[in-house]
Amino acid sequence: MEQLTVRGELTSLKPIADFVIAEAAKVGLDKKATYRLRLAIDEIATNIILYGYQNQNAEGDLLLSATADSSKLEIAIEDNAVPFDPMGAKQVEAHELERPLDEREIGGLGVYLAIQGVDQFRYERVSDRNRNIFVMNLA
Amino acid sequence: MTFTATTQIDDAIATITLAGELDASSAPIFRDQIDAVAKASPSRIVLEASGLDFMSSAGLRVLVFAKQKLGTEVDIYLAAAQELIIETLEKTGFDQSVIIVDSYDAAIS
Repeated sequence: MEQLTVRGELTSLKPIADFVIAEAAKVGLDKKATYRLRLAIDEIATNIILYGYQNQNAEGDLLLSATADSSKLEIAIEDNAVPFDPMGAKQVEAHELERPLDEREIGGLGVYLAIQGVDQFRYERVSDRNRNIFVMNLA
Repeated sequence: MTFTATTQIDDAIATITLAGELDASSAPIFRDQIDAVAKASPSRIVLEASGLDFMSSAGLRVLVFAKQKLGTEVDIYLAAAQELIIETLEKTGFDQSVIIVDSYDAAIS
């Protein structure tokens, strides 16, 4: 299992992306699937950093871990910020996506892109930690 | 790759050339360019995106900001963007509000 620990700061998005792209390459994930996985993880990591840590005036880390077998690549992000389940957050509704931009409410789009961009998304709260799990199936 | 946004204004068309990776850490750079462009009251904004490798929802939020700042009568063109970036706009319905074209020439004609 490969792991990466980074500070809960926006400058960590780049090393997080590098980690995801490297793990995707190891298992031969294609360009589109790699982009969608990287986007999903970028979105959730951004939420953890901005709303889990910075808005709470809290400091902390993000721990990424990657595991793979012949059928799938699974990447998990763990953090010790306030509990937050993206699946339980207010979901973007279909009619909102059809509204013109000047009438849009900001927010929710990142979680929407994350959840529907990967083959499977799971959230777990384990003791005092959040764990967001992203799964991509391998052809 | 480091994100850059550079602006040029010709005949009321503001061209912002985007390159690199647009995420929550780099989006303020893009937003500052929109702010600067708004002061010139352009009739059209063209985002030249052939060198843009990645865009998260932070980029979408800047597009919403641009529409709200400039008004709906100012068209925003996205020119020469990569397929996966266009996919993000389509999935989120932004292709209804941003005019997606294949080339920069198509956006300024």
